[in-house]
Amino acid sequence: MKKRVNIWLVSSVLLVILAVAMALCSTVGVVHFDRESLLASPIFWNLRLPRVVLSVLVGAALSVCGATYQSVFRNPLTDPYVLGISSGASLGAAIAILLGLEAHLWGVGGMALLTALLTILLIFKIASIGNRMHTTTLLLTGVCLTFLITAVISLLMALRQDKMESIIFWTMGSFASASWMDVWIVLPVVVLGILVVLFYSKDLNLLLVGSETAQSLGVEVEKVRRRLLLFTTLMVAFAVSACGVIGFVGLVVPHCVRLVCGADNRRIIPYSIFVGGLFLLLCDTLARTLIPPNELPVGSITSLLGAPMFIYLLYKSKRSI
Amino acid sequence: MIDVQHLDYSYGTKAILRDLTFDIAEGAFTAILGANGCGKTTLLRCISGLLTPNRGTVSIDGTAVSQYTARQRAQKVALVQQHPQTDIEFSAFETVLMGRNPYQHHLQNESQEDWDIVEDAMKQTNTWHLRFSLPSQMSGGELQRVMIARALAQQTPVLLLDEPTSNLDIAHQFEIMELLSAINRNEHKTILIVVHDLNLALRYCPQALLLHDQSLLYQGPTPDALTPDRIRVAFGVRAQNIDGYLRFER
Repeated sequence: MKKRVNIWLVSSVLLVILAVAMALCSTVGVVHFDRESLLASPIFWNLRLPRVVLSVLVGAALSVCGATYQSVFRNPLTDPYVLGISSGASLGAAIAILLGLEAHLWGVGGMALLTALLTILLIFKIASIGNRMHTTTLLLTGVCLTFLITAVISLLMALRQDKMESIIFWTMGSFASASWMDVWIVLPVVVLGILVVLFYSKDLNLLLVGSETAQSLGVEVEKVRRRLLLFTTLMVAFAVSACGVIGFVGLVVPHCVRLVCGADNRRIIPYSIFVGGLFLLLCDTLARTLIPPNELPVGSITSLLGAPMFIYLLYKSKRSI
Repeated sequence: MIDVQHLDYSYGTKAILRDLTFDIAEGAFTAILGANGCGKTTLLRCISGLLTPNRGTVSIDGTAVSQYTARQRAQKVALVQQHPQTDIEFSAFETVLMGRNPYQHHLQNESQEDWDIVEDAMKQTNTWHLRFSLPSQMSGGELQRVMIARALAQQTPVLLLDEPTSNLDIAHQFEIMELLSAINRNEHKTILIVVHDLNLALRYCPQALLLHDQSLLYQGPTPDALTPDRIRVAFGVRAQNIDGYLRFER
């Protein structure tokens, strides 16, 4: 029965930490600057800063979506990609790469977004029975679609082996090409989506207990579930389109937060925003600074750093019970 | 208080409830009795608004249940389900606090009043000492009492319970039934309870609804509902009433 007044305090502290981390991370990189030249440099303003901002946005979005899905589907193994949105986006990206749209502004990202949105439409269409959304059907549809689309992407790669490398690199996820345009495209959707999830975070607790319990305790289950799924899938679609598929963040950040602060989504959701943003920011900073001038895939850093941390937390919490 | 008119419910083509009409007076403590599959649980779920009848209406306080919003409905009816979830990570206190949800707005946190009501409900159900426990750390009887505490925290005039005693030993069955009797007496809540143990119903519930073959066989005082003749029709067993205690034979 922890006092809840602390939410704002903890959130403020996390916000400050995140802001400091953003400032620090944007000063490090392959090119070194002293204090004056940093603020005058286009490398700082047009390359690093948008990259730092985008990684925070995507990390926050994925974590909040993961936390939401884990409650809505009542399944701790769900991550933001479970509904097949990531593979939908990958298909669009693959098609764009095959068509040679890489040079166009948001050519790959735009196509990825388009197919991701089509995937969302498709799974919602399949899983809606009347005006009800069946969560198990939704999950299974997502898993099946992922298999189907992955198979199509493999076929495309087999047929055009010269493009295989770029497609694989896209699906591994990277912030290397982040620009302010990416930020402006992703930002409104992520902010709106997070606000919607925050608004319904108490209902998420009740959904976690069970949809019938939620309904008998005054939650309009179908309406709330539909809205949450709509806004979170949109967030995932935009995030994936901007930077490819970055795994692990959305699965594990909510769990880490949950292990530390308990099952209450009114804490998990706000803390996940900051922890997820911070985590992906640090991972991306490592990805671009560890072996200069080359970049490591940020997805592998998230897993390399996150998995041991998560296992440690699991181990620790098991002992304290 | 609860007015049911020509209620029909079916899953697909299979009729579960057929043309049920009855009403329950305010403050009544009523057992819903009947063989497995006769629609007891479905009836409770229709009254609580979890299911929408195919035909007919259920009204509470003069208004059809379907006319209420989910919030309004949750201020009128509380439902204690048959199988409480044990795999959740919310403490007993947090669980009971959820009963206050119908009175809170989305971004509103619990007030001191909510906390007091929860403390009250938990003391009444003798679960206050369990407030930090998780469902997985509680026994069946304790968890059932926590679920009843959550229903009490909803502060509804109507309380529905689906076999709250089914997994409990005899002492805990008595404990739950006595708790419900006390709630009925002291707070004048209208209570509807599905029970399988006819002797338990006879002992604690003054009123009964006896269902048979998807429809209502009898409504009235429990001793009149549980005559050997009606028991034979409803359950297909022979029964003898010995000094207010039922003995059964095949």
